[in-house]
Amino acid sequence: MRGVRNSGPETPVSSFDGSTVGAEPGDPIIRLFATMRPDLLRFAHWLARDRAIAEDIVQETLLRAWRARDALKDQTAARAWLLTIVRREHARLYERKRLELVPLEDGIEHEGMPSPPGPDSELDSLRGAILKLPLEYREPLIMQVLGGFSTAEIAQELSLSSTAVLTRLFRARNKLRTMYGLTPAPDDSASEGAL
Amino acid sequence: MSHKEARLLIGGDPGSVSPELAEHLANCPECTKFQREMIALDANIRRALQHPPAGAALAEEALTTPAAAAGAPGETSDADVVASVTASAAPIASAIGGPPAAVAPVTPPSAKVIPITGARGRQHKRTSSWPGWALAASILVGAFATLAIWTLHPTDTLAHDVVAHIEHEPKSWASSQPVSPAALNEILRKAGVTLDANSDKVMYARSCRFRGHEVPHLVVSTSRGPVTVLVLRFESVKARESFHEDGMTGVITPAPHGSIAVLAQGNENVDEVAEQVQQSVRWLPESH
Repeated sequence: MRGVRNSGPETPVSSFDGSTVGAEPGDPIIRLFATMRPDLLRFAHWLARDRAIAEDIVQETLLRAWRARDALKDQTAARAWLLTIVRREHARLYERKRLELVPLEDGIEHEGMPSPPGPDSELDSLRGAILKLPLEYREPLIMQVLGGFSTAEIAQELSLSSTAVLTRLFRARNKLRTMYGLTPAPDDSASEGAL
Repeated sequence: MSHKEARLLIGGDPGSVSPELAEHLANCPECTKFQREMIALDANIRRALQHPPAGAALAEEALTTPAAAAGAPGETSDADVVASVTASAAPIASAIGGPPAAVAPVTPPSAKVIPITGARGRQHKRTSSWPGWALAASILVGAFATLAIWTLHPTDTLAHDVVAHIEHEPKSWASSQPVSPAALNEILRKAGVTLDANSDKVMYARSCRFRGHEVPHLVVSTSRGPVTVLVLRFESVKARESFHEDGMTGVITPAPHGSIAVLAQGNENVDEVAEQVQQSVRWLPESH
C-alpha cells in the first residue's frame, strides 16, 4: 500500500522528485502543515489501522489542504481543518479503492504491531480494544478524544444527529468498559436516535 | 432527566456536564459513580490514543531525520521543506529542525535513542548488523521510556494530590445551588483569603484537609462548565504548572502566599479562569 498515491504528479506543491512547483520556499503555511503532520498521521493511523494507508491519507490531505489553503482564514483553526480533511480522505479512500479488508486479528498479528515503549500493558490492551471497535464507533471516539471535536461538530461531519453521535460514543465507551471488568451500562436504545 | 438520558450524556462525553446533568448527578449516586468510572476510562483512552497503533515505529519515523541518520544535518533547503509536505514524514521533521515537543509527548525517548545508535553504527545501519542494532535500540527505547514514564509520572506531585483530592469529592462537580456568602466567607477566612468575585457563581465550598492544612475547595460555575479551585496557601510552586490527569485538565499557579490550583473536567482550557481567580483572590496578611 505504501506506493499508492491518490494524486498525480501535477500537484501545485511539488513533484515527487522533490522539485518545488508553485510554492514559496519557507511559506509559513507549509511550515504550519509540517508541524501538524505527526498529529495528522496519528489521527489517520487510528482511523485506518494501517501505517502505509495513513501515510497516503496524510499526503493526500496535505495536497488538498495546499490547494484549498485560501479557504483557511484563521490559522488557529488549521488543526481541526486538517483533521477534517484527513477524515474525509479516509472515507474517500475506502469508497474509491474498495480496499480488500483483512480480518483485524490477522492484520495485527501478521504485521506484528509492536507495542509502544513502556510498561503499561493495560494501555496496550486498551489500544487493542479501540482498534477492534467498528469504524462507526471508533471514528467518532477518535474525533472526539484525539481530534478535540465537539459532539455537534462530529454530528455535522458524519451527517448524523447529535443524539446519534452521543449514542455511538456511549456504545464505544461501553464496549471499552468491559475490558476493565466494569459492567456495561444498559444500552436499551432501540436506535441511535432514541432517547 | 432520566437515568438513561444521563448515562447517554455521560457515555457520550464524560468531561461535559450540562446544568441538567449536574442536577441529576446531585441526586443520583449511581450515575455519579458511572460518571466517575467513565472519566477515568476516558483518561486512559486519551493516553492510549497518544500512541499510534503501530507505536514507536510510526512516531519514530515521523520524528527521525534522514539527514541526521545519514550524518548530514543542516543540508535541507527551504525547497525541501516544501517538498517534504508531500513526501515522506521524515524529511519534515528534519526540515523544521526536529520534532515539535507537543506532538508526541511519550516519544522523545525514541528520538533520543536514534542519535546514539546513529553515532556508533551509522555506517552499519543498513548492513547485516541491522537486527542487532534494532534489538539494542528497542531495549534502549524501552529503558528510556520506562525511565521517562517513571520520572514524569505525577504520583508524588502536587498536581496528582490535587486530582486525587478532587476525585474523593466527585459530587462537588454536580453542585448547582450557590453557596451562601456567609458560608463562603467563613471558609475563605479560615484560609486567610477573601474573594473579590460574585459569590453566586460559587456552587460548592468546603474547607478540606489537604496535606495537613485546611484549604478552601470551591467549585465555580463558568460559561464552560464547573471549575474547581483549591487555594493552597501552604503549597508553593516555583512556576506555573499545567497538567492533565484522570480526565481533568488543570493548572497550578504561584500566588503571593502559596499557590492556587484550578481544574476542569475534560480538555477544557482553564487558563482564562485561572487568571481571573488569581486576580480575585485577596490574601490576608494577618492570617496564618
